Amino acid sequence: MPDTPEQPIVNQVARLARIHLDEQQLKSSGEKLEQILSFVSQLEQVELPEDVIPFFGAIESVNAIRDDQLQTSVPREKILDNAPESDGEFYLVPPVFKQTDS
Amino acid sequence: MEDSVLNSNSNPQSTNRQAVSFNDAKIIIGLEVHVQLDTDSKLFCGCSTRFGEAANSQTCVICTGMPGALPVINRRALELSIRTGLSLNCRIARSTKWDRKNYFYPDLPKGYQISQFDQPICGPGHLDIQTTEASGQSRRIRIERAHLEEDAGKSIHDESSRRQSSKIDLNRTGTPLLEIVTHPDIRTAAEAKAFLSELKLILNYIDVSDCNMQQGNLRCDANVNLHIPLGGEQVATPIVEIKNLNSFRAVERSITFEAQRQFEAWQENGLTIADAPKQTRGWNDQTQTTTLQREKEDSADYRYFPDPDLIAVNIEETQIELIQSQLVQLPSTLRESLVTEYNLKPDDAAVIVSQGRGVVDYFLEVADGCQDSRIANNWIGQEVLRQLNELNQTIRQYPVSPQQFTELLKLVIAGTLDQTRGKEVLNAMVEHSISSEEAIKQLGIKPVDNSELVTLCETLIDENQKVVEQIRSGNEKAIGMLIGKARKINPNANPGLVKAMLSKMITG
Repeated sequence: MPDTPEQPIVNQVARLARIHLDEQQLKSSGEKLEQILSFVSQLEQVELPEDVIPFFGAIESVNAIRDDQLQTSVPREKILDNAPESDGEFYLVPPVFKQTDS
Repeated sequence: MEDSVLNSNSNPQSTNRQAVSFNDAKIIIGLEVHVQLDTDSKLFCGCSTRFGEAANSQTCVICTGMPGALPVINRRALELSIRTGLSLNCRIARSTKWDRKNYFYPDLPKGYQISQFDQPICGPGHLDIQTTEASGQSRRIRIERAHLEEDAGKSIHDESSRRQSSKIDLNRTGTPLLEIVTHPDIRTAAEAKAFLSELKLILNYIDVSDCNMQQGNLRCDANVNLHIPLGGEQVATPIVEIKNLNSFRAVERSITFEAQRQFEAWQENGLTIADAPKQTRGWNDQTQTTTLQREKEDSADYRYFPDPDLIAVNIEETQIELIQSQLVQLPSTLRESLVTEYNLKPDDAAVIVSQGRGVVDYFLEVADGCQDSRIANNWIGQEVLRQLNELNQTIRQYPVSPQQFTELLKLVIAGTLDQTRGKEVLNAMVEHSISSEEAIKQLGIKPVDNSELVTLCETLIDENQKVVEQIRSGNEKAIGMLIGKARKINPNANPGLVKAMLSKMITG
């Protein structure tokens, strides 16, 4: 089966999402992606009057705004319970090394 | 053409590049400035934004990105953004929305940052800056946009620890930032510094941010490349974004370093903007150099899309008008009025205004009170600023009220106190928090009447015949010696009056 045209995009997106896909998954994801894109591209055929304002969500309401008021934060012990690793004060993560000039 | 030089290694393009001088290159600079807005709570939740609290003590399900948590935008962050935009002559969006900027980093718990992609709250604007090279000349730096976004957390890389892990503090996560992006209109490191100074001053005046760079409340990235003339054309070097700029000096020095580095790299390899992607380099304050951090992601790599948890915000015309009507006078307006209405020199006006609104108000009150803006400027611009600096105080803590200061200057203007005695009085006022009247009493300053002055001058002439001869034979400067002596005999004698009287007695 030939590579789909979307294959390079699948590789790129997998890399950015930090997920590992094996050969089979890469191929099937590419096919699915192509199906999705061709489905969505039907929208391009719709002729819209020029004065239509684009919208960005399914909800039509606007302006959900809160006042600048403090609320109690979650106690540290409790929030750190969610951490894969912690020293009781901080979240601990694998070391982040800075790259330097070669 | 020097084709006569035969060299098997010579590469004509490289030879051409070697012939270009650094001074022919134009430095192209654009800035991205992150300003922490002065809110009590975070951008999308009620956690505190206060700096320096115990690690991870100011977080909740929203700012740590727990599934199902719903962010809601902070009204004050919107208002402060609009206020900033208006102060920078920006067009304010009538409708604005939020987008997710996706990337992975341990200090970004959601895996995306809520930011604004295509509908920023502030659109195009500009800021005029005074450049030091041409005093009085201003340069207009165009602002592309300013968008509202949340800050990330803080990573602490503790390489000495046995665990060899990085620590993450999420207190800062979700703190509101306004990212102000300029067009690449800046041409020198000094202009970049001038832009930042003026921006910081404006943000202070309009009470949007305290701009504390040590605490990271004002952060700056600089995009730098060169336009180099080569054989009748112009080539551009690859763009570099410099990060980690946490002082104005770092901004200035890093740009200077980076321009030189790019020029040398180009002379060596000839790479242009078409050959290399945008790079991120970090400024290292210790070594005073920039070092490569990573190849910059393309905008597409961030896979921006509208945040489905947040709905659009429509900004009404009336709301913008209200914020506009409440805007305080900006530094540029105040500088102009100090020059045109108070007759200050532009440089003096700039010094007063650069000290913040408190010093400007102090100056205005004293200048109006004593009716002599030049003297008010001389005293405030020099004595007061020096004392504030020495005392490490703000003008609001200064022990001498504008009214008391006015009284003091009135005595100086009237000639009751000369400059030197006036300064002694001021020092006493500051030291003991007393009025000018009390200070004068404490220092034993008394008015000297005319007959006392006559006696004093006669004594001086009698006792210093040699000096008097010098003066008579045309050495006018010698009179200074007599004035000095007069001061020792009677510190209250006004040197101006003594000088006038001595001249009259000696030379007629």
